[in-house]
Amino acid sequence: MTEVQQSPRQGRRARALGIMPVLLLVAMVVMFFVIPALKGTSPTDFNVYNAFQDWSALSLLALALGITVIAGEFDLSVLAMYSLGAMVAVQTGTSSPVLGVVLAVAAAGLIGLVQGLIVAKLRINSMTVTLGGYLTVLGLVNIIGGNASVPYKNVNVGISLDDPILSFFSIRSLITIAIFAIVFLVLRYTVLGRNLRAMGGERRATRIAGVRADPLLVGCFVASAMLAALGGSLLGYSLATAIPDLGFGPLIFAITAVLLGGVALAGGRGSALGIAAGAFTLALLNELFGLMATPDYISDLITGGLLFIVTIISAPDLFGWWRSVRAAKVTTPEQEPVALEKS
Amino acid sequence: MSTPDSTAIRPLAAIYTGSRRQLIGRAVAGVLIAFFIFGAVTTDSFTSIQNIRAILVATGFVGIVAVGMTVIMLSGNLFSLSLGTTVSVGAITFLWALKLGLVPAILITLGVGTAACAVQGLVIGAIGANPIIVTIGAGALQAGVAAWLTDGSSIFPPAGDKSFDFMTSTPLGIAFPVYVLVVLVIICELVMRRTRFGKEVYLVGENRQAATAAGLRVTLIITGAFAIAGACAALAGMLLGAFNQNATLLVGGTFTFDAIAAALVGGSAVTGGRGSVTRALFGALIIAAISDMLLLRGYSTGIQIMVKGLLVLFVVVIVQLNAREDRA
Amino acid sequence: MKLQVQTLVKSYGPVAALRGVSLELRDGEVHALCGHNGAGKSTLVKILSGVEQPDEGVLEINGEPISFRNPLDAQAAGIALVDQELSLVPQLTVAENIDLGRAGASFITRPGRARPRVKQLLGRVGLGHISPSTPVELLSIGERQLVEIARGLGREAGLLILDEPTATLSDTEIAFVFNAVRDVAAEGASIVFVSHRLGEVLSLCNVVTVLRDGELVATKPIAEVDRPTLIEMMVGSVVDADTSELRPSSGKIVTVSSLQVPPRVTGVDLQLEGGQIMGIAGQVGCGASEVLRALGGLVPQAAGDVSIAGKKVRINTPRGALASGVSYISGDRKGDGLFLNRSVSDNLIATRLGDLSQAGIMQPRAAARTAKELAEVAGIDPSRLRSAVVELSGGNQQKVFLGRCLDRKGTELLILDEPTRGVDVGGRAEIHNLIRRAAAAGHAVIFASTELTEILDLSDIIVTMFGGQVVSTRQRSEVTAASALAEITHRDSDAKAVA
Repeated sequence: MTEVQQSPRQGRRARALGIMPVLLLVAMVVMFFVIPALKGTSPTDFNVYNAFQDWSALSLLALALGITVIAGEFDLSVLAMYSLGAMVAVQTGTSSPVLGVVLAVAAAGLIGLVQGLIVAKLRINSMTVTLGGYLTVLGLVNIIGGNASVPYKNVNVGISLDDPILSFFSIRSLITIAIFAIVFLVLRYTVLGRNLRAMGGERRATRIAGVRADPLLVGCFVASAMLAALGGSLLGYSLATAIPDLGFGPLIFAITAVLLGGVALAGGRGSALGIAAGAFTLALLNELFGLMATPDYISDLITGGLLFIVTIISAPDLFGWWRSVRAAKVTTPEQEPVALEKS
Repeated sequence: MSTPDSTAIRPLAAIYTGSRRQLIGRAVAGVLIAFFIFGAVTTDSFTSIQNIRAILVATGFVGIVAVGMTVIMLSGNLFSLSLGTTVSVGAITFLWALKLGLVPAILITLGVGTAACAVQGLVIGAIGANPIIVTIGAGALQAGVAAWLTDGSSIFPPAGDKSFDFMTSTPLGIAFPVYVLVVLVIICELVMRRTRFGKEVYLVGENRQAATAAGLRVTLIITGAFAIAGACAALAGMLLGAFNQNATLLVGGTFTFDAIAAALVGGSAVTGGRGSVTRALFGALIIAAISDMLLLRGYSTGIQIMVKGLLVLFVVVIVQLNAREDRA
Repeated sequence: MKLQVQTLVKSYGPVAALRGVSLELRDGEVHALCGHNGAGKSTLVKILSGVEQPDEGVLEINGEPISFRNPLDAQAAGIALVDQELSLVPQLTVAENIDLGRAGASFITRPGRARPRVKQLLGRVGLGHISPSTPVELLSIGERQLVEIARGLGREAGLLILDEPTATLSDTEIAFVFNAVRDVAAEGASIVFVSHRLGEVLSLCNVVTVLRDGELVATKPIAEVDRPTLIEMMVGSVVDADTSELRPSSGKIVTVSSLQVPPRVTGVDLQLEGGQIMGIAGQVGCGASEVLRALGGLVPQAAGDVSIAGKKVRINTPRGALASGVSYISGDRKGDGLFLNRSVSDNLIATRLGDLSQAGIMQPRAAARTAKELAEVAGIDPSRLRSAVVELSGGNQQKVFLGRCLDRKGTELLILDEPTRGVDVGGRAEIHNLIRRAAAAGHAVIFASTELTEILDLSDIIVTMFGGQVVSTRQRSEVTAASALAEITHRDSDAKAVA
């Protein structure tokens, strides 16, 4: 109760960040065409198609992480669920690709349920629980795959999933767009989405208003696991392989996309559209690296640096820290005029 | 807002639910321990001298990183997800810098590790950035820089250099890293208990908001905690590089998660302020023993990873069940 | 709906909050609940809205006994609460907040369809000019409070509880709320109106119930009371006799001028001397806590001139304030204060580790000695030095918090927010003595309290605050319980009318 109420000014500042995903995306699109032109080349339709393919490979992972962040939590296990999705789909979907995806999503959902119950009922920090979940599922994926990459026997599935449509798209990227549309509608236009955003924004107030928070929280972790597994299974079909351990690369992509997409780490702020935009910005960046034949280490440095920068921008005490640094600089008190706030 | 103290009505309810929760917690802990003992007894040659030596070596490496991880945890910043990368960077730096001589190599390695992590601590401490995300990003940056400078190839020590042989020696039959770990634990325990800095790490970890209000040097403390973790990781990397006689980015492997698991299994609270580096030593011993046991029984890497994951989950749940319910 | 409450008893540990209170609420009636801080109003409201459960006593709705396990049960029974703390989600829009948690809402939210209903609710509280799709975080604090009241109205409850609904509102805004409340009452709902503002009680309510120290003083039709009788009922037998003479000053003058704490506190000027105790009296939300937090360096946005003996105090960081000689003791001792799982001894020496170490190494003997001395000064049993603070009672915890800030080298100004919140009677006296002792040692002391007795007991100078501004600053001898209560319960103009 000693919490100082957030002023409208702070509110405006926070909302101003909402436009960031759009600006960044526009800037990226411009760069995507301008930078190659400086070197005398230009992106082709195929590069755009590739960017969409890249986007569909990783954006569902970002969405999975993003909905937990909007709810004020953080699901590290999405990375392993992503691998799990690929592994289960590739191994069970040889005769019926759809069955493979269903099984993959169901398996991940079940594990997400357990994690959600632990977080909601025992009130344990979700980062810790999902770190345990991440390791457990990663181990599980390795067990299923016998510690090695597993090939998908029904190669045609991947080929038709990736067949270009309207020169830019593919069935895979269209499915991904459809999923984003559904999640967008649920978050924006249903009680479920509203309550989820409310929970991330102000959990106490949400409970007092009469929302049953626990089932919602559990559901959020289930949905997160399922989305990640779906993204993973589609990728598994496309590559015709399931790789047990993908390293942290996809997670870095997902976190950066979520933050670039205007989702606040403190929760309550963000949309599926923003996450899609953030992910597409990164996909274009990756494609640009490819186009410019950028060495891996440089692209790694840029993505790592980008994550570092967005983390700093989204840090809660940045403003207060800046104020105190400015205040400390003033050494002679007589010369310091009282900073009167116009509010 | 009223703050009811232990009341006349609550004790009855508290004894009931509290003890039931704690009972479950203890039962789960008991089952885990029984499992461990059963495994130890029934695994062939688990208790042989050679195997115990092998376990100790593994404990040495994991334990050194776990000490650093525990300091981060005590300072209330959950854990770092890139200490393993810092271990790799340490190994690479050490082997590369050996051409400048042993002492400069040691100093440079420790300096690089300390600086890499101190920067992360500074960002986390000064502006409250999220520790998990900062450490993930910093991991990518460290890996990027290392790949850039090494061109992605293995680094070897200068040919015929014997100056670091002592690091691979086994005085009294026990590997050198084990001694390093014991000395490190003693030093860190002294620092944490007997210095102003150590006391403040515990206070900041217990309640960062109160520490800020009380005018403690929060930014400095968190930066310092990460610096210690970085130094520990660089130390482990140095020994690992000497041990393997070569270093790549992959050498850090499973250290990040093994160290987190060791710190948690040791019983330090993930929310900060409670625990000790000595506990990390025992945690590392348990993790090393379990890994070894699984290896001896021929279980795959998959099962080893999964067991660690489940262990983390169980420990976190047990700790929560045993915790007092004062903020239910 | 007719709600009856019989002989409710509720205690928090040794502190009895309600001692057998009975009450009857009728349809179409606006029932005021008055009483000074600690009278038991909040507890009663919490029980009615299902947040807390009574130790003894019965709730009956239309003659049927009923019990609420949680707020949802109470909502299902047709009870809506407008909490005194803001309970909106800033990131959501006005419409979304109004519908949040409403039973029977359809799964798909149709902002278009909800719009007329939300518009109409907003109109009733005078927010007709605000679009339902405005995010709440862009509204002023007063507007947010009105949205919350609109939400309460929108629940179409049989019993609507308004807990201090007007604390942050302007006169015109209050007029809208009154009209809305009268409408709801005319439609047959019953209303509980909790307020410190006697003017509002007299003009809005039909019946008034006054509580004091957890007991029912009386329930009377509003026609039978006026302002002086209400004040008398609330104050009871507060002893006005103790007008101890001014303490000797140490000569160091503390001045605070034109202090602003966004968003609500403006133009606060205070002045006192070392050795004096200044009490800031005011109700919850009057701005006193914000002023103290700012002085302690916890509000980076605060602006204004603060100086001690002519030296400027840096108030933008806690470290700056501390270095300038300000020690702040928060009212939120669990959040901003203590390290609950650390030992009493660690907590006592937490802020003087620098003095107790040499070259960064702790001096265990000096530390133990200091901890023991501070425990003695603060009146803490030395055998408990090793116990975790969380195991102590509220009073002892507060003593640890205070002890930590006492006798610190360089401290000139001691700031305490609600120093005896959640502390039993015995503990209070000890804490009051500690505060007096600090003043006697030459510190300037500023404390804020919502409890008038505490203000009158301790202060040399009494400042009253209302709505984010200082109402008056007087010597203790010029203040009576009734005059202070009058100043903190209504506006300037009203105060003049009564005087």
